[in-house]
Amino acid sequence: MPFDATDITLSLLKVVVVLLALLNVTPIMVWVERRGSALIQDRPGPNRVGPLGLFQSFADALKFILKEDVIPAQAHKWLYTLAPMFGLLPALTTIAVIPWGLPFKLPVKHWFGRTFFAGNPIFDPIVADVNIGILLIFALASLGVYGIVTAGWASSNKYSLFGGIRASAQMISYELALTLAAVSTLLAAGSLRLTDIVWQQSQYFYLFNVVKLPAWNILSPAMWLSFIIFFVSAFAETNRLPFDFAEAEAELVAGYHTEYSSMKFALFFMSEYMAMAAMSCLIATLYLGGWDIPYWDEPQVWWASLLTMLFFTAKVVVLLLIFVWVRWTIPRLKYDILMRLGWKVFLPLAFVNIVIVAFFVAKHWI
Amino acid sequence: MFEFAIFFFFAAVAVIFALVVVLHRNPVVGALALVASFFALAVMYVLLEAPFLAALQVIVYAGAIMVLFLFVIMLLNLQHKREEPTRPVQQFLGYTSSAAFLIGLIYYIVKYAAFTALPAGPFNSDARAIGMELFQSYIFPFEMVSILLLAAIVGALLLSARSVAR
Repeated sequence: MPFDATDITLSLLKVVVVLLALLNVTPIMVWVERRGSALIQDRPGPNRVGPLGLFQSFADALKFILKEDVIPAQAHKWLYTLAPMFGLLPALTTIAVIPWGLPFKLPVKHWFGRTFFAGNPIFDPIVADVNIGILLIFALASLGVYGIVTAGWASSNKYSLFGGIRASAQMISYELALTLAAVSTLLAAGSLRLTDIVWQQSQYFYLFNVVKLPAWNILSPAMWLSFIIFFVSAFAETNRLPFDFAEAEAELVAGYHTEYSSMKFALFFMSEYMAMAAMSCLIATLYLGGWDIPYWDEPQVWWASLLTMLFFTAKVVVLLLIFVWVRWTIPRLKYDILMRLGWKVFLPLAFVNIVIVAFFVAKHWI
Repeated sequence: MFEFAIFFFFAAVAVIFALVVVLHRNPVVGALALVASFFALAVMYVLLEAPFLAALQVIVYAGAIMVLFLFVIMLLNLQHKREEPTRPVQQFLGYTSSAAFLIGLIYYIVKYAAFTALPAGPFNSDARAIGMELFQSYIFPFEMVSILLLAAIVGALLLSARSVAR
């Protein structure tokens, strides 16, 4: 690959933009979560710091930094310190393969007496457009469990350990259903590359040969089962209520992060919200058409690309709000019900779903 | 040059963590070190232009199998106690057989693999190519492996069901 300064600069720019966006998800989502829960439970919620309590997250962050960092005497010091990082890395990296906008041609610019973007290179709003995109996401997501498991074990606290063990069993179970559900979208697009999956969804299809609909996977009847399985499993994968058994406070104090304090605890908090954001991006990409704006054939220019980015963000925001809404609406299940649901309902349904979708694809109905 | 640096870094990571697996007394640390070693191996696959295999390596070994290992280690709460070798014969057999294996391995690597060039040309390792190979050329071994796994599942079920019935 030839060394190209413009190319490298653009890539670095993309990395910085994506990371900053992802890092800002946590404070904003914490505020949304606390105010949202207050709204649902008919109480004011945090409303003292700044307008509408918007600066509450900054106050929290400051508190986290200033708190004493306690390491329990019985803990395995190395793993206790490393565990929060294990959790954070997959949450940060999965976002790299998600396309967040329409690619467009960069116009030739003359700045500082030099020519930039000669030959109109195409700017692709994705950090790494690899041909195994979705497998990479599942690979990194499957590593996310190590943060929780290691934290639970290294704390040498029985509640932490139970939290860690529950998390590993839960994530193994639901990973299968999640991955198998996503296979149907891969079959429809015929590719593992996430940009291909979005391009396939930016076309149109006729429902019962009458209604012209955008080919978003969620709108195609053959995909509904797969969407439901994926959506519910996503809650289990991100350890959110109704599936947050790793930190079920009624039974396990605070689960795997009982012993954690200060910034180490904040890292767990951040990775939870970032995993949630990454999962929302993935759902939007696989089922809600990614950056596609329906009934509009986007021209490959910068303003159209900007609109698609805003549209993609809107989809992700809606999904994140649903995550919050569900958390404060549906109570926690029992652990054996969770396991039964995963292995005896979702897994067989996911297999059936693959057969159905494969039949549809073979018949060229999708 | 850059690829070389990445190769040597991750090769070192893979070897060092593999040594940690063998030498560290704590089973949890050993399991986590094995994960790190598998991850470094996945980087090797990426360098060999086989990203699909790299992803599978991480999903299957690092993501699924090692989580199960860790799960079992934690569930049984294995203590890192050192057991004294009961029979010197076992110790002797263990050392000699592993030494013989190592010598054999090095011999075959030097004789067959190390100094023969790989076939030139683009190496197709995407999902489609691997699927075609698996379901056409290697369909028989593939099905045999699935029967083997099925037998293992049935065996595990039989053992656990018997203990429940008692």
